[in-house]
Amino acid sequence: MKDKQAINCDLLIIGAGFAGMVAAARASSLGLKTVQVGNSSNLFLVSGLFDLLGVYPMASGHILHDPRTGFETLTADCPHHPYSKTGYKKVLESFDFLKNFLASAGLDYQSKNNENYFVLTAAGTFKPSFMVPKTFLKGCSIKQGHPKRVLFVDFKGLREFSAKQIANVIQDTCSIASTLTIEIPDVSSTLHPTRLANLFEDIQFLNFLSKKIMPFSKETDLVGLPAVCGLNKSPETIEKLEAMTGLDCFEIPGIPPSLPGLRLKNAFEKQLSQNNVIFLNNSKIQSHEFKNHHFILTAATENLMAEITTRGVILASGRFPGGGLHAKRERITETVFNLPVRQPEKRNQWYHLNFFNPEGHAINRAGLETDDTFRPVNQNNTPVFNTLYAVGSLLAHNDWVRLKSGSGVSCVTAYTAVNDFYNSISAGGLDV
Amino acid sequence: MLFAFSNIDFFLTRQKFRPWLMKKIIETQVLIIGGGVTGTGIARDLSLRGLNVILIEKQDLNAGASGGNHGLLHSGARYICSDPEAAVECSNELNIIKKTAGHCVEETGGFFVAVSGDDEKYIADFPGKCSTASIPFKKIDVADARQMEPSLADDMIAVYEVNDASINPFKLSIENVNDAISMGGQYFSYCMLQGFEIINKKICLAKIQNMISNEIFYIKADTYVNASGAWAGRIASLAGIPISMVFSKGTLLVTSKRIIKRVINRLRKPTDGDILVPGGVVSILGTTSVRVASPDNIFPTVDEVDRIISEGERMVPSLKTCRYVRAYSGVRPLVSEGNNDDRDVSRGFTLINHEKDGVDNFVTITGGKLSTYRLMAEKTSDIICRMHGIVSECRTKTIALPSTESGEWSEPGVHISESFAPKTRHDPVLCECEMVPASAVDTIINSIKNNKGNPDLISIALRSRVGKGPCQGSFCSIRILSHLYNTHELTHGAGINDLRKFLNERWKGEQSLLWDQAIVQSSLKEMIHCGLFGLELETH
Repeated sequence: MKDKQAINCDLLIIGAGFAGMVAAARASSLGLKTVQVGNSSNLFLVSGLFDLLGVYPMASGHILHDPRTGFETLTADCPHHPYSKTGYKKVLESFDFLKNFLASAGLDYQSKNNENYFVLTAAGTFKPSFMVPKTFLKGCSIKQGHPKRVLFVDFKGLREFSAKQIANVIQDTCSIASTLTIEIPDVSSTLHPTRLANLFEDIQFLNFLSKKIMPFSKETDLVGLPAVCGLNKSPETIEKLEAMTGLDCFEIPGIPPSLPGLRLKNAFEKQLSQNNVIFLNNSKIQSHEFKNHHFILTAATENLMAEITTRGVILASGRFPGGGLHAKRERITETVFNLPVRQPEKRNQWYHLNFFNPEGHAINRAGLETDDTFRPVNQNNTPVFNTLYAVGSLLAHNDWVRLKSGSGVSCVTAYTAVNDFYNSISAGGLDV
Repeated sequence: MLFAFSNIDFFLTRQKFRPWLMKKIIETQVLIIGGGVTGTGIARDLSLRGLNVILIEKQDLNAGASGGNHGLLHSGARYICSDPEAAVECSNELNIIKKTAGHCVEETGGFFVAVSGDDEKYIADFPGKCSTASIPFKKIDVADARQMEPSLADDMIAVYEVNDASINPFKLSIENVNDAISMGGQYFSYCMLQGFEIINKKICLAKIQNMISNEIFYIKADTYVNASGAWAGRIASLAGIPISMVFSKGTLLVTSKRIIKRVINRLRKPTDGDILVPGGVVSILGTTSVRVASPDNIFPTVDEVDRIISEGERMVPSLKTCRYVRAYSGVRPLVSEGNNDDRDVSRGFTLINHEKDGVDNFVTITGGKLSTYRLMAEKTSDIICRMHGIVSECRTKTIALPSTESGEWSEPGVHISESFAPKTRHDPVLCECEMVPASAVDTIINSIKNNKGNPDLISIALRSRVGKGPCQGSFCSIRILSHLYNTHELTHGAGINDLRKFLNERWKGEQSLLWDQAIVQSSLKEMIHCGLFGLELETH
């Protein structure tokens, strides 16, 4: 038998992806007694870039320099889009909150007022994004401004990152791109990104690396590296390398496992634990009931059972990868509360035959319908529970992959929902 | 892909066709059009008889029905009612192919299984008809069958054992081409026939377009073979000859694990979802028969997938819940005879000597099936040899098909511990689902280059297991692209387009069966390739 532990709290956050982390951050900052369940390791899948809105309209693939312009059209065209319920200002406010929260955990993010960055990716493409890790910043100047002479550095054994690929793909964008491949002694065939990140935190490795880069310094303005430059001290690592080489350096995001995602995971976990959030990692909700204005939920980890009594719940369980939605052959269901899921009528309408269809796939807009404060609603359009909120990618009407709006929607919905819950209990309205 | 334009008018109307000196002309004895199992089989057969051949293919090997089938060598029992002649052919060919191309074959054996509700008369007639066609069979006690194949349905009522085997059609075509090349033949992929020049009842020149460089060149041969399967009508029309074709699309599903040891056939009149074929570590369930207007741009649909599964689960119930990694479709090329049900059309082949149509050095071979590909090649080659005035016995009946290194990697999911493990510690695995190391990719790249092809992601994937595992290319596509850049195979920005094409090609096979775990994987793929890399945006 597992130990069964009883926990009382104000707010339970279900989900430990990006939206769940923001919700826990906001809740704990407001002084709410917060419990979080979920699995944070999926953060190794996120790029670490915070998008607000990069593309709109989707059909024309219009890339936005100023997210505000697209935001206005999007919210006018789609009154049910989560952004239509918050407005632009709230999105900026939530990003500011997030930036400060992460800064206190030692993770430095940068944003420009009302302007997207264009972040160079490992494919050689540029992605519009709103708020980016400081270590990515200098690469964002490649697309805009004067042509630069860039040295791209890759590592033998890091199979998913090729300096030559990037140099070839962007050759029309920047005038001179050169490449350098570093061979690390004792690396046999495969170099795992986390191992390389650990090496970067070793000063001897940085010395070794800078010696390899130095011969290129006269004909180089900028050095582009895979986003593996340290795990927890990436800004310092990049600064050290810049000091050693005298060259500006930046990181380039690529396919998972993502070090910028792991840095986020570590920063959130560190700061949330300082804020006394109880985090039941690798846990799943097994049952739930609602009585006397409280939810009672059972959460189970491998060796622990917890009975959580809470006044409010934020559902941030994600879509299919996060497990918040489950697709059967016939239909899509919500996995924790079995809430109604807005979805295409039949499976043959889920996907378009073109993977790269500019307008996306109908299934990407499936998800939960909510009221203006992100409480899931039933068929009569009334909240299923007064204090149950749904936030993040679980929400309907948001094809975040095409819109490049994932982090923005997660951040502002989590922030808004927690604020609403806080306001409603502060007003004493729920204790009756 | 539709033929971009057909230049028949140009050749037929312009009597004075002069610019010979300007043209790039390659000479050979026989030009074979179509790189499926038949075309590659003919290339080898004729090479063995001493003729010099060129094989052209508008895409790459097995792009049509040869790549869109079960990979089943029929015992013949499936055709005993609908087409007894084809049944006998299958039975004979099975023994020849097992003997001469054993490295492409897995001798699985097969069951014919009836479940409650199936047509009793068909079941009762089965043994007699097998005997008449001299197809070996054995009645199996239902309880014994369940022991031998535990996945079979509880309500099965009759089981017969036959000699079915599974075959890897990709390996087969690769090895046939490699053998033809070793005897002086040539293979041009992505080269599409644009027209014939016919003088005095003979084709004297074929106009070809390289679909990658768009370069136009000409091949001058003594005889021409149309082995283009479902496209046979179009190729013949370029010589002014009408062949009326009908197209029957069949869709198949690949399970992520091998569910059965033997081929499982439903013991009833052939219809949808009634054959399950094991191959390596997977199994393949099919098919459907849907009349389509054109053999181009076909893909599996959600409705077909659901129909196949609901039929298949009657024989093997776990097909209802198992994971599928991909689906694909092929088009059966059938020469039209006005039948209503495409499955009633003879599955025997159609071989036409176009002397009767006024073109003396042109032969069309189409129809038929994978199991009889060798026989089709033999009969075609017999006519070609007669046209060349050569008396030479077919040798593919007896001479074994050599096994080459570049064919090795197309094996469906051989276990990691076997030949697939990287051979040295400096050999990184690029496709982790299917354990394909960099050295294997290099071998394939070299073989593509030796055949004058262009090593891109799609042509590498065609010749290997790359991208065919559960991740369907999400990760390995990027790793292989990096590898192509690192080894200087790619020296321009177009690799991003290759990546798009490759992912969309895999997508065709995924989009109809995304639920449960597969949808998690496809979501990740979209996160990476659209969310982060923005490949859906035209501007990159």
